[in-house]
Amino acid sequence: MAIRELKVCLLGDTGVGKSSIVCRFVQDHFDHNISPTIGASFLTKTVPCGNELHKFLIWDTAGQERFHSLAPMYYRGSAAAVIVYDITKLDSFQTLKKWVKELKEHGPEDIVVAIAGNKNDLGDIREVPMKEAKEFAESIAAIFIETSARNAVNVEELFQKISKQIPPLENAEVDSNESFKLTRQPAPSTRRCC
Amino acid sequence: MFQLCSKLCRENFVKAQVELKYLNLFAVLVNLFPSWNRFSSHCAGLGGERDSGYDSLRRRMSVLDRLTQTHPVWLLLSVSEEDADRILSRQPPGVFLVRKSTALQRKVLSVRLQEGQSAAPISHVPIRESQYTFSLDRSGISFADLFRLVSFYCISRDVLPFTLKLPEAIASAKTQKELEEVAQLGAGFWDSALCSQRRSSPRPRRPLSRTLSPQRTDRNREVGGRHSSGPLCFVSPLFLRHHQELISSSLGNERDTEQIKLSGKSKPPPPRPPPPRSMPRRRPAPPPPGPPAVTTRPKTMPEPVTVAVKQQQQPPSRRPAPARPSAGTKQTSPAKTATSPSNPPPPRPKKPDLEAHRCHIALDDETIAKALSRAKLPPCQPPPPLPSDVLLENHAGSRRAERGRQRLSDMSMSTSSSDSLEYSQSPGFSLGLAPGPGPLNHQDPVEDTSEDDDDGEEEEEEDYGVGLEADLEMRLRPSFKSRRRRVAVSLGGGSFILPRALKGRFRKVSGMLSSFMTPERRAIKKIAELSRDKSSYFGSLVQDYISFVQENRSCHTTGGDFLQTLRQFLTQMKAYLRQSSELDPPIESLIPEDQIDQVLEKSMHKCVLKPLKGVIEVVLHSFQVNSGTWQRLKENLALAKTKRPQELGVDGAVPPDPLAIEKIRHKFLNMRKMYSPEKKVSLLLRVCKLIYTIMQDNSGRMYGADDFLPMLTYVLAQCDMPELDTEIQYMMELLDPSLLQGEGGYYLTSAYGAMALIKNFQEEQAARVLSSEARNTLHQWHRRRTAQRSAPSVDDLQNFLRVALQDGDSGCTAKTLMVHPYTTTEEVCSLCAYKLKIDDPENFALFLVSEDSRQQLAPDTHPQRIKAELHSRPRPHVFHFLYRRTLDLNLCIPASAVRTGTGTGNGLHEE
Repeated sequence: MAIRELKVCLLGDTGVGKSSIVCRFVQDHFDHNISPTIGASFLTKTVPCGNELHKFLIWDTAGQERFHSLAPMYYRGSAAAVIVYDITKLDSFQTLKKWVKELKEHGPEDIVVAIAGNKNDLGDIREVPMKEAKEFAESIAAIFIETSARNAVNVEELFQKISKQIPPLENAEVDSNESFKLTRQPAPSTRRCC
Repeated sequence: MFQLCSKLCRENFVKAQVELKYLNLFAVLVNLFPSWNRFSSHCAGLGGERDSGYDSLRRRMSVLDRLTQTHPVWLLLSVSEEDADRILSRQPPGVFLVRKSTALQRKVLSVRLQEGQSAAPISHVPIRESQYTFSLDRSGISFADLFRLVSFYCISRDVLPFTLKLPEAIASAKTQKELEEVAQLGAGFWDSALCSQRRSSPRPRRPLSRTLSPQRTDRNREVGGRHSSGPLCFVSPLFLRHHQELISSSLGNERDTEQIKLSGKSKPPPPRPPPPRSMPRRRPAPPPPGPPAVTTRPKTMPEPVTVAVKQQQQPPSRRPAPARPSAGTKQTSPAKTATSPSNPPPPRPKKPDLEAHRCHIALDDETIAKALSRAKLPPCQPPPPLPSDVLLENHAGSRRAERGRQRLSDMSMSTSSSDSLEYSQSPGFSLGLAPGPGPLNHQDPVEDTSEDDDDGEEEEEEDYGVGLEADLEMRLRPSFKSRRRRVAVSLGGGSFILPRALKGRFRKVSGMLSSFMTPERRAIKKIAELSRDKSSYFGSLVQDYISFVQENRSCHTTGGDFLQTLRQFLTQMKAYLRQSSELDPPIESLIPEDQIDQVLEKSMHKCVLKPLKGVIEVVLHSFQVNSGTWQRLKENLALAKTKRPQELGVDGAVPPDPLAIEKIRHKFLNMRKMYSPEKKVSLLLRVCKLIYTIMQDNSGRMYGADDFLPMLTYVLAQCDMPELDTEIQYMMELLDPSLLQGEGGYYLTSAYGAMALIKNFQEEQAARVLSSEARNTLHQWHRRRTAQRSAPSVDDLQNFLRVALQDGDSGCTAKTLMVHPYTTTEEVCSLCAYKLKIDDPENFALFLVSEDSRQQLAPDTHPQRIKAELHSRPRPHVFHFLYRRTLDLNLCIPASAVRTGTGTGNGLHEE
C-alpha cells in the first residue's frame, strides 16, 4: 500500500486543547514500534484509507496572539487544517472564524478544513451552541465535529473524516508529496548562473 | 565443514537455543553455496596455486567481477520488453537482462527459458526493492545490490527454473581486456559478432559456477570479487526456517549436477583486480577546450569521446593494466596482495587484545547491555565485523581450526553486538551473518572518520531520543552511533517480552540492517571521488562551481539568494547524476530506487557543501553585517535576553536553568561545525528534545506548541547567539526539500519563527510588522522550495549555454553547449565551429541578441557570466546567443531559434 504523507495543521486559541486532541489521536492506539518523537507539537500517525495509507504529519501551532504571524509557515503546504475551539469559550469560536478567513485568503487551495469543538464533556458550561457551529461549518463546507480529547470522544472520527476528504491520487506518479501539489508552481525555476 | 562450524559455534554461543538457530542458518547458507567447500577440497588437490599468466588472470575474475564489468551489456534499464524478447530469443536458455518495466515501474530480470518450458520463451521476473535490498519476487533472499543478486542467481536458481547464464563471451573471457571489449559494445553486444560467435563455440551450456568457481585460496571470493565487501546476500532467519528444506533440496540437485561437471575441469578463477572505475566508452567529455562533446543532454555527451578514446587505445592512466594485481580502487588495494593467488590466505593482522576482549564480553548474553553501552562511547573502536573468510576458512580443515576459532569469535561478537560497521572495504565474502571486515579492515573506522569528518565533528553524544532517525523521515543514517542506538532500542524496547532466543535473532536482524548501510556509503564515496576527478564531467562541474563560488562571493544580493543558488546547484547535480552514465556502475544497481535520492543528497552535501562551508559562512555573515541586520539582531537579542520566560509567553512549563542553557549553547556551537543541513537539523532536534525534557520535568504532561514555541523563543534569547540566525537560514534553504514536511522541518520552522520574533523584538508593534514581513518572506520561501520539487531538466544546468547556430542558408539551429563560467567567447566560438564543421571559423563570431540589440562579443568575454548578469537583472530580458558570420548582418533570426540561454527566468525571479 502506498503511504501518503499528509501535512495537517492545527490552529486555534491557546488552551482549547489542540495538542490534547492530537495526543489522544496518536496515543490511543499507541504502537510501540513507532519511536517516540521530540515532543507533542509534532506528531505523526498512519491510518489506512481505502487502498492507501495516510500518514498524518500533524503540525501544532502556538495559539497566542503574538505568534499568529507565524501561522503561515505552519499551514503552508498543508493538506488539511484542523481548527479547534473550546465549546465553553465563545472567544475561541470567534478566533476560529478568523482562522477560517485567513485560510481562505492565504491558505493552500483545496485545503481540507475541519472544525472541532473540543471539551464536549463540559456540555453544562457550553457557550457555543452546537447548532451555530455546525451551520457555520456547513456554510464554508468544512468538516464539523464535537470532540472530547479527555474522554476520547470523536477524536478518531475527526481524522477519519479528514482522510475521506483527501482526494485519492489520480496517478501513481504523484506520491507522498501530494500536498505540495496544491501550491506548486507551474514550472521549475531557473536561476542565474553563478 | 558443517561439523567444524557447529563445533565452533558451540564454543561461542553459549545459549543452546540461540546456538541452534545459528547452526541452522549456517547450514543453510553453506547449502546455498555448495560450491565453496566442494571446490575447496577439489582445488586443493589439484594444487591450483601454481598457475600464473592468463590462467591466473582468468581465475581472478569472479562472476561478480564479470557482471560488474560488463553491466553495459546486461543492465539495460531502458530496454523495452519487446526489445528484451528480441535480444534474448536468440540466446541460449539462462541468458538474461535486467531492465526496467515501464508497466510495473520496477526493474525486472528477463530470462530466456528453455524451449517448450513455458508458453512464453522469455520470463520476466520482477525485482523487489525494499528499503535496503534487492530481491527477486517470491524469493526470501535479498541482496545489497543488483550485481550480487544476479551473481547469486548465476550460481543458485532459488526461485528461477534454472541458474542464470552469462553470455559465453563474458563467461569465457580470459582477460580483463576481453571483458572491456564486450562492455564497450554495450547493448550492441547482443547484435555483435562477438556474441554470436561465442555462442556457437563448442562449449555449450557450460555452467558458470564451474567456470568461475573459486580456487582454494580465494574460494570465498567466488562471488565476492571486486566488491568483496561483505555479505553477498541476507537471508531472513524466519524465511530460512520455513524454507530450509525446500532450499536444501533444490540446491541438493544442483550440487549433484555440479559435481558431475566438476570432474571435467578445474581451475576456477579467483578474483581479479578491479577494473577501472568507469568504462572508457562511458567516459565523459573533458571540459572544453578540446574536441568537446556537445549535446543537449549530458547523457549522450560521452558519445563523441568514445571514438576519440578508442582511437587512442585508451590512455593507460585510465585503465590499469590487466596484469597489475593491485590495481583498483585505492581503498582495496592492500587487499589485493592478500588475494594474490600464489599466496596462501593472508595472515590476518592480529586484532588488538582489546577487541578480542570486547568480543567476548559482547558475546555473553548477560552482558549485552554493557557491551552496548560501551559501544556507545565515542572513543571506543567499533568492533570489527565478521571476518569475511571466517566460515570458509574454517572449512579448509582442522589445521586452521585454531585461527578459525578465533575468527568465529570475532564474528559472533559482531553479530551479537550488531555493531557491524563498514564492510565496504572488506576483501572477503561473508555469509551475511554480519558484515565482514577483512584483515585490513582495521582501518575502516579510522578511514571512516577521516572520510566523513562530520561524523567526528558530530561525535558529541547525547540522548536525544530514538525518534530522531524517524524524525528525519525514517531515514536510516549511516553513522555508527545511530546504528548503535537503533540496536539498543530494539533491545531495550523489546527485550522485556522477548525470550532470549528471539532477542538474539533481533540483534541478528539489526546487525544485517546495519550492514546494509554500506552500499550507501560506498555510493557516496564513489560520487565524492567522481566529484574530485576533474576529468569527469561531473567532477569538472562540481570543482568549477566550487571555485566559482569561492572566487565570486559578491555576485549575490542577499544571503538567501546565495543559498538558493547553491541549493539549486545541488538539486541540478542530483538530477544530473541520476541521468548521467558517468557513475559506473549506475547508482540504480547499488541503491534501491527509493533510497537513491537520499544517497545523492548526502553525496552532494559532501561534494559541495563540505568544501564550501567556510565560504558560505563568511558570505552570509557579511550580508548580515552590510545590511545592518547583524547589529539589529544583536540589540534585539540582548533585549530579549533580559526578559523573563513569562514575558515571552511561557506559561507553566519549567524553563531551563543556566546550566541547561549552557548545554544547549554547546550543542548549537557543535551544530555550527557541521556542513550537512540534515545533521544540523538533527542537532537542532536534540536541542528541542532537551527543552521538552526540561519542560515536562517528569510531570508526564504533553506540551504542545502553545507551550513549546514560547519556550524555544526564551531559550534562543538566553543563548544569545546571533550567529544562529544564519545557521537557521542555512538549514531552511539547503535542507533537502523532502524533509521539510517532517519533524525536522517542523522544528526548523519553529526555530525560524522564534528567531524572527526575537529579531523584531524591539519593534513597538512586533506582531504587526512581522506579519507583513515574515509572511512575505515565508510565502516566497515556500514557493521557492516547493517549486524546486519538480526536478530541473538537464538543460537548466548552469554550465550549459544555449546557442543559436546560423550558417548561411542552412537556417538556424539551437544547440546546447557545455560552457563553463570561465570559458571565453573565443573558446565558445571554436566549439561552435567544431560543432557546425565550419571551415572558416575566422569569419564567424558570437553575438548577444536581445529584443532591441545585437552585439558581437569580444573574444575575451565570458558568455556564461554575461548570461548570469542578464539573468540577475530585475526584469529579465529575452536574449540569446547567436553564432554566425560576421558579415551579412541583415539576416533575421527565425523566432523558433530564439531561445534564451537557460530557459526563461520565471520562478525565482518572481521575488
